Amino acid sequence: MSLSVLSSSSPHHRAASVAPVPAPAGTHRLARGHVSVLLDRRTLAANVLLLVALLVASLTYLCLGERHLSPLAVLAVLQGQGEGLANFLVAALRLPRLGAALATGAAFALAGCLMQTLAANRLATPGIIGIDNGATAFAVASVVGLGVGMAPPAMALAGATTATVLTFGLALGGGTQGYRFIVAGIGVGAVFGAITNLLLARVAIDVANAAYPWTVGSLSARPEGAVRLLVVGLALGVPVALALSRSLRLMGFSESVARSLGTRLGLRRVQVLSTSVVLTALAVAVAGPVGMVGLIGPELARHLASPRRVPVLASALAGALIMVLADLAGRLMLAPLEIPVGIVTAVVGGPWLLWILIRPRRHGVA
Amino acid sequence: MITGAMPRPLAGQALALAGLLLLACCASLLWGAGDVGPGRALAVMLGQGDAEARFVVTTLRGSRTLVGLAVGMALGVAGALLQTLSRNPLAEPGLLGVSAGSAFAVAVALLLGTSAATLRIGVAQLGALLGCLCVLGVARVRGLGQDPVRLVLAGAAFSGLLSALTTLLLLFDQRAADEIRFWVVGSLSGRGIDDLLAVLPSFMLATAITLLIARPMAALALGERMAAGLGHHPGRVRLLAILVVALLVGGATAIAGPIAFVGLVVPFAARALAGPDIRRSLWLCLLIGPLMILSADIISRLVVAPSELPLGVLTALCGAPVLVAVVRRRRLPTL
Repeated sequence: MSLSVLSSSSPHHRAASVAPVPAPAGTHRLARGHVSVLLDRRTLAANVLLLVALLVASLTYLCLGERHLSPLAVLAVLQGQGEGLANFLVAALRLPRLGAALATGAAFALAGCLMQTLAANRLATPGIIGIDNGATAFAVASVVGLGVGMAPPAMALAGATTATVLTFGLALGGGTQGYRFIVAGIGVGAVFGAITNLLLARVAIDVANAAYPWTVGSLSARPEGAVRLLVVGLALGVPVALALSRSLRLMGFSESVARSLGTRLGLRRVQVLSTSVVLTALAVAVAGPVGMVGLIGPELARHLASPRRVPVLASALAGALIMVLADLAGRLMLAPLEIPVGIVTAVVGGPWLLWILIRPRRHGVA
Repeated sequence: MITGAMPRPLAGQALALAGLLLLACCASLLWGAGDVGPGRALAVMLGQGDAEARFVVTTLRGSRTLVGLAVGMALGVAGALLQTLSRNPLAEPGLLGVSAGSAFAVAVALLLGTSAATLRIGVAQLGALLGCLCVLGVARVRGLGQDPVRLVLAGAAFSGLLSALTTLLLLFDQRAADEIRFWVVGSLSGRGIDDLLAVLPSFMLATAITLLIARPMAALALGERMAAGLGHHPGRVRLLAILVVALLVGGATAIAGPIAFVGLVVPFAARALAGPDIRRSLWLCLLIGPLMILSADIISRLVVAPSELPLGVLTALCGAPVLVAVVRRRRLPTL
């Protein structure tokens, strides 16, 4: 991949241009020696805004619950000086759950952003085109003890891959733009949803009841191994996505334009697709299918960040924010009952999806 | 009138399908998840057999078969009407959120403490009517209805929203949740003749209206202006058809739970056999619908005997590929 002119300046090049090239409007150039980075001001502002909102939401998440704590008490616990009950509530109960919410939200939204960009179709999030359902079906198979002796994350990965191959295979020839691709994905998702129900119907009612909240998306189970795996996946996936962001931007153009601008399109597509699928599978293994985050997160990020770039980082931050807020709402609204976070996001995201479908079209599907 | 002279090829097809349906009924009586095997069941059907086998065959399997027949007919006809109404080969009560509407209404009713079977049916039909009006109303704004695939997407979003709300309601009440959890995936198990009798009046009303509007519907399939030019009232016909769909889908959902994809597959097959005229394909829907439901029901009893599979799982497994196949065609036929 060739680096853009502004980001690297060879000695030869530097000699030729005496005056530094002014940064394009709306951007800020950080230069240090031979290396310079272009920062988009609006994207930067959006990321900072989302980060601040995320911190506030996280603190609120730790404070509120069946027993409310003051922010000061929570901060004391975080510094390791809390007393008994607050210590237990925050460190043992809320903090791990907050971590799971942050990680799954970021993973779902990042995967959604990547998939949307790849398919050039803003409805093509993993949740809608059946990848979540595939991962869930396989993971349920391993949870209810019918699968091969593989751990849920591995099974989820296998399921997500199967569903992806099916959906994209069915789209061959038709392309991924437009609504037909989405409906093919809905069909694939329906098959996997039926398989999940089938598996749940075969096992004892206690096992089925235990697995039920998880099949609609919930953070109450969050197996620890799966969370750890997801964090590792995110630690690898976010840098990969950031490194791919230039190719992602080019995917918005037509194929020939993207190629002539120097992208190895086939390779990049495989990289983007596999990053998205792996992140989805790992997140499903933790929280079940909370697919709507993959739709709302990138949408929110796109509203805030600059339209020139694909908002990779902002999507992840927005997804984490949405997940934290949705889970907080789910915990508080009907306390002591707990609404699974998947239900909260579906109730919020469903009307949003309808609105995307019926509103006047300004610039196509993508 | 729908009872005109049937062209000969259709009569032959109908006869063949009726034969198949008869076979399916017999199979449904003979095989089951319990330990009354085909041999003992056959003895009962021939007039002999012991008391236990007689009870199982006549009371349990017999009424279940009848319910399956009614549900299949209702869903098949409702699918055909909805597809003609929206001129969309993908329109299906389950996909468009009509079934989800009635499931949501039933969940509300259960939560409020109703338990009478007839009341539940009325509530389900009301929910189906509201769902139908919502989706078709949305379809009429902004040309959404012109694009078959987009309408299905809107329906999927709508039914996803409704099923999330249903799940939310069920969280309030564990008793209702246990009662409803197996109902929401669709099943014929344990449905008796009482359920059928409760829903029969509304099905008869629906049949009468269908006979009345079959001819205007066929004209409506040519387009609204053409129908008006032929002397029909498109608006009135449309409302009546929506009412019929709501009665049929609501009734079927109240007895058997939401069973997706039947309303997609059955009219699809019927049109392939009888051509696009709804006055011809409706007859075949009446036969293919029960055939599909009964076959799925028999399979659901046998695959994991002695327990049972939910029926909705099987219909989804065979219906979703049909959906994908229809969508993958280069040109979607508009109805």
